[in-house]
Amino acid sequence: METHIDRRALLGTAAMAAVAGASAPARRRAEACIFLWLGGGMGQVDTFDPKAVGNGTRTGKPGSLYPSIPTTVPGVRVCEHLPKVAGIMERLTAVRSVNHKVIDEHAFATNLVHTGRMISGNVTYPSIGSIIAHARGAGAPDVPAYMLIGYPNVSRGPGFLGARANHVYLTDTEAGPSGFSRPATVDARRASERENLLAGLSADAPGGVPLAAYRQAQEQALRLSGPGFLRHFNLKDESADVRASYGGEFGQRCLLARRLVEAGVRFVEVSHNLNFLNGTGWDVHNEGIRNQHLLIRELDTALSGLVIDLERRGILDSTLVVVATEFGRPPEFDGRGGRGHQGSAFTMVLAGGGLRHKGAHGVTDDAGKKVLEAGVSIPDFHATILASLGVNPAMELMDGTRPVPVTDGGRPVEALMG
Amino acid sequence: MRNRPQTIVWIPSFPPASHDMKTWFAMVPLLLAVQLAWAQSNDSAKPAKAPDPKVGAKAPGLKDFPPAKVDAGALPKAMVLVELCESGLSPDKNLWPESPPTGNERYPERAFALFRFPQRYIDTGIRADRPNPLFVRASAVVDLPPGKHRFLLRARGASRVTLDGKVVLTTPFPPADPGGHGTIKPPGQYLNLAPDFRFAPPGNREEVIEARLPGGPVVVVLETIVGGILGKSRRRPEPGETVVAWAPEGTSSWRLLSPAGETVPYTDEGWESYQAERNTHLDAVDASARASCRKSESEAMAGKRQADARWLAGQAEIALPPIGATGAHPIDRFLEARWNLGAAGQGSDAGEAVALLESKCFQCHAGTKAKGGLRLDSRQALLAGGDSGAAFDPAAPAKGHLMSRLRSAGDDRMPPKGDPLKDSEVSLLARWLGAGAPWAEPSAAAAKVAVTPPCDDLTFLRRATFDTVGVPPSEGEVRAYLASPAQTRRAKAVDRLLADPRRADREISAWLDLLAENPNILNPTLNNTGPFRWWLRESLLDHKPLDLMAIELVRMRGSERYGGPAGFAVASQNDSPMATKGVVLAGAFLGVQLKCARCHDAPGGGRQQEDLFALAAMLAGKEVTVPATSSVPADKLHAGGRKALITVSLKPGSTVKPRWRLDDIVPAASVENSLAEREKLGRLLTAAANERFAKVQANRVWRDLMGRGLVEPPDDWDRARPSHPELLAWLGRELVRSGHDETSLRRLIMNSAAYQRASDPALSAVDPLHRAPARRRLSAEQVVDGLFAASGMPMRLEEVSLDIDGVRDQGNSISLGNPGRAWMLTSTSNERDRPSLSLPRIQAVCDVLEAFGWRGARQDPRATRDDSPEVIQPAILANGTMGLWLTTLTDGHAATSMALEDGPLDRLVERLYLRYLTRKPTAAEAARLAAVLSPGFESRKVAGAPGPTGPRLPDPYVSWSNHLDPEATVVRQAQEARAKAGDPPTTRLEPGWRGRLENVIWAICNSPEFAHAR
Repeated sequence: METHIDRRALLGTAAMAAVAGASAPARRRAEACIFLWLGGGMGQVDTFDPKAVGNGTRTGKPGSLYPSIPTTVPGVRVCEHLPKVAGIMERLTAVRSVNHKVIDEHAFATNLVHTGRMISGNVTYPSIGSIIAHARGAGAPDVPAYMLIGYPNVSRGPGFLGARANHVYLTDTEAGPSGFSRPATVDARRASERENLLAGLSADAPGGVPLAAYRQAQEQALRLSGPGFLRHFNLKDESADVRASYGGEFGQRCLLARRLVEAGVRFVEVSHNLNFLNGTGWDVHNEGIRNQHLLIRELDTALSGLVIDLERRGILDSTLVVVATEFGRPPEFDGRGGRGHQGSAFTMVLAGGGLRHKGAHGVTDDAGKKVLEAGVSIPDFHATILASLGVNPAMELMDGTRPVPVTDGGRPVEALMG
Repeated sequence: MRNRPQTIVWIPSFPPASHDMKTWFAMVPLLLAVQLAWAQSNDSAKPAKAPDPKVGAKAPGLKDFPPAKVDAGALPKAMVLVELCESGLSPDKNLWPESPPTGNERYPERAFALFRFPQRYIDTGIRADRPNPLFVRASAVVDLPPGKHRFLLRARGASRVTLDGKVVLTTPFPPADPGGHGTIKPPGQYLNLAPDFRFAPPGNREEVIEARLPGGPVVVVLETIVGGILGKSRRRPEPGETVVAWAPEGTSSWRLLSPAGETVPYTDEGWESYQAERNTHLDAVDASARASCRKSESEAMAGKRQADARWLAGQAEIALPPIGATGAHPIDRFLEARWNLGAAGQGSDAGEAVALLESKCFQCHAGTKAKGGLRLDSRQALLAGGDSGAAFDPAAPAKGHLMSRLRSAGDDRMPPKGDPLKDSEVSLLARWLGAGAPWAEPSAAAAKVAVTPPCDDLTFLRRATFDTVGVPPSEGEVRAYLASPAQTRRAKAVDRLLADPRRADREISAWLDLLAENPNILNPTLNNTGPFRWWLRESLLDHKPLDLMAIELVRMRGSERYGGPAGFAVASQNDSPMATKGVVLAGAFLGVQLKCARCHDAPGGGRQQEDLFALAAMLAGKEVTVPATSSVPADKLHAGGRKALITVSLKPGSTVKPRWRLDDIVPAASVENSLAEREKLGRLLTAAANERFAKVQANRVWRDLMGRGLVEPPDDWDRARPSHPELLAWLGRELVRSGHDETSLRRLIMNSAAYQRASDPALSAVDPLHRAPARRRLSAEQVVDGLFAASGMPMRLEEVSLDIDGVRDQGNSISLGNPGRAWMLTSTSNERDRPSLSLPRIQAVCDVLEAFGWRGARQDPRATRDDSPEVIQPAILANGTMGLWLTTLTDGHAATSMALEDGPLDRLVERLYLRYLTRKPTAAEAARLAAVLSPGFESRKVAGAPGPTGPRLPDPYVSWSNHLDPEATVVRQAQEARAKAGDPPTTRLEPGWRGRLENVIWAICNSPEFAHAR
């Protein structure tokens, strides 16, 4: 929440150009990041890296579940349930060559993609949101640097950076931010009665320096629980058209993310795994795949709505949109027509953020199982996000007295650095 | 024992009790037709075959499983005999055994109601597992009146009940794990047999029958198979709620079947109180089992004690400094001696400058292997300079090498990592160098701090109570304390508190952090361990000697999944678990930091990789291989073209043999070489000759009570210098002398004048010389537990588990039970973002805990928590769900009862202050609150009954097994909404006045004063 600018992070911008190795002109850094999390593992062959259609049975022909359609970028096709995204593909890049080796458990892979690190047992690594919150601070005085619309867990946490770099979260757009929305039984009048009582108590109580520091934090907390901050959560302030352009609950979360970014929040993670749409969310084993298209369409509407809205408001270049997931899924089908997990090649998507978009980056084989060109590791993907936001991917954070680089040797994807 | 004829008629009950309605209707005609009579005692004749249509596919083997032959005469009088039978069952199949297994452990119970068994202990009293599956038989002679009674059997495992040898009730084996695709059972489908009927808790099967009995004693036998395997799932060996209950003819009042002549209602309240009473009883049973294990294994430890005593006798005594102004307590004498030393004319710049060098530079520029040959750890060394010549020119210090490197903005900046020095720090060093760099021990710096007087009695009680049991003193404790003689009340309070079992609930938190206990309730992968918290808690409850505790931990035996030290050995998804454990043990027990050594040698001539991997090999009991990830590739070492700051001395793939390499701490020869590696390690760690162990423990306890260690940081002594070396050594010796008894050490410290001094409000941190404490923020657990305790509200959360019906494999899901204290929580682990997997009440408390520095996931060990103030802390207390629960005057809230008592308003206000803040309000505070609360005070009570309540409905449950049912999300969201709303306020207080009292309580709970130690 406090505006905290790390000198080295800023110095990093220059150093970064060297890392990127390009003779490219100094690029304007992005000011915020909206990180859409598709929990469960988005199947790339059914979305952004379509292949020949398979027949949906375990013994039959592997392949995509749906036919593909062309996009605004020649040669780049996506699945038929992504028509709106297809229409703005030149503003995005589907990074089709992401890969890692952790596919046996969701939480483990989720941790890897959020922290960019394997588990070591020596360090609890911070999430990408916490890293950016730490390095760049909030963009405005009275807002948090990092917000989460989803459930808290260690992968999304601040790790060794501590509570200061943690998120403020809400579980859905109706819930209000945890810790900053007053209970329903406390209206503004009652809140002010309470604060008066509190001030009176504090005035007389045995005090001291540590209490004064806490009191200061409390004053900010109470201010944030007021209309100044909470108005950002009032989606009803948006026109009906805009709201409709984002679609359902997931889209409304994206709209809220845009509002928060405009308010100065540096990093917003938005989770999309409302498993009741299809039973299993993106983790489409077995019958879960039957209604997978509903999820894809919801993503299509929300993602395109967000990108277009950001552009309309002139902040697409300064806002990096990331579509991330813990792993992909194989082209083969399981016994009941669903799919297992695949880490050897899968897709994550970038939009905006001042990157040089090209519809797609990286090439996989005809089955969608192997990366043929331009592989992007998780540390590389992190480095790309960090570089877009003007944070040096080689910057070091301190875990006590031990320096820990923000990425595990990651290098930004050069082709995207405009 | 019974010779008179009896007639029992079985009549099926309605509505159908079992979940399987078809089966029930099918058996109706059959049951009505059966009339059975027998006249023999059940052990001399074969009873007629009882009808049991469920025998068959769903209960494999049951048909052929003969009823147990129970010698009624041998049963204890008025008690249920429980037999745990550890053999005779198929380990991999769900099958009733072919013949009744024999019990190898027997104990009496009050009723046919099993939810927990006595814990199995091995070795020196560590938790271990029983075989899974486990066969359990409970038998008793129950005197039942004549009449047509109903009987209910409920159980998690397959089970059956016989009356006088006749099978009357059975439940099947648990269903297969539906992998999340099970369905939510609608409230209307729950068995509901009475207005106050206890609905079936998750994961039990049940059956009801009605029987006409002639009256008189009946031999009742309940048999059940606990745990077992189905498909790929080895079930947790939990009995769930295995119960036989009955409702006598003419009543709808269900009670537990008991031979004891007592009526234990089988209602929610009745069960809760039965469970609470049995838990207390079984806790005592377990404690005595541990004690007897420890006794029978005491020989080996006795040998160690003697060796320790011999070592102690051979050491020269540490002389106590003379008695000074602060008293005769040895601690105060040591401290006072140090003040006099520090006061010997040192300028404050000197102390601060050396402290700065210590924190920023010593890591590389101290000791024999200092970088660039430059040592900064003494004045002499500083003046001598390094490889590039003089560090500074006393004539023009600002121009020297040292200052220019500190000021550099380039790659040669010092320190090379982390934040640069602040401008104020740079000018301090310049000023100090300009003054000729007078050397001073850093802790002598703050010469201005004055020794504070003793704190007042109530402050002492609050401090001591929070420091030992983790909650504020109750009103009763305050009254008793103030009523006891002033001369001895503090010492008596210390004794009382140190004997309080709640101590374990407070002290465990630091151990969980230090040892990185990191269980996961779902699919352990994130460097998870077993839940060895339960072994820790028992160790603390037993006041286990610290050396034995360390030895048990290093042995890593006992239960892995259910709380034994074997759980410590686990590090899921970690390619070198024993290296990870080596880091933990070295930090916790030796103050040696080996984190760096996992991948490279520590900079500045510190510990080497091999030190860690040799330790890992001792833990493994064999050679270990350095994994590829435990390294730093060459390109990263030299990133940025700099000379590498660190060295990788062990290449990936190297093998390392077990060996003790920390000879500087204690020579390997201090213990017998013939011991097994783990045993040897345990002895080396804890031998009295290893003074480091005792000192590290003494420092931990000192730091816990005094707010600042004699050595900081506590887990990295290579970098630290003790502020009071003699005191530290003396405390270590005292610990050894007491037989490594932490309680004695705590008593010693808490009775010192130093511990009992008033805090200095001007200090932001404890004075390093302990002239005055500073006000410290309470720990996360103290904030949460303290608020619950002061409000008198129980911590009513969900069970800490995502598999509450127990169908998943025990390797994937565990239960951490029903939390009563904050430490019992863990990460809610909803990495999947599924609303149906949320635990809203637990999350509400975790939100507070995390804000205040607790970690729900502990992937790495931590000796120090960050306690800096953050906006989220007061925010989550003020607005969060937990805060709402504790500041709403529900019927269960202590302040509600207080407000309903007769008495003047100022008495109520005073009691609130005592309860929450352990002090009386000032006159101004009392007046302010009186102004708020006096309007309407006289008419605050509302007579009349509470409003009408709707029909009771069971709360459907969501578990992993059914969480993918769309209805699961609906149920969970309703639970979340209820959690967020909290319980309704009392109707016994007038709403307007109640609201104002709630405001007052909110203000007290949120006052910075509450969250800080006094």
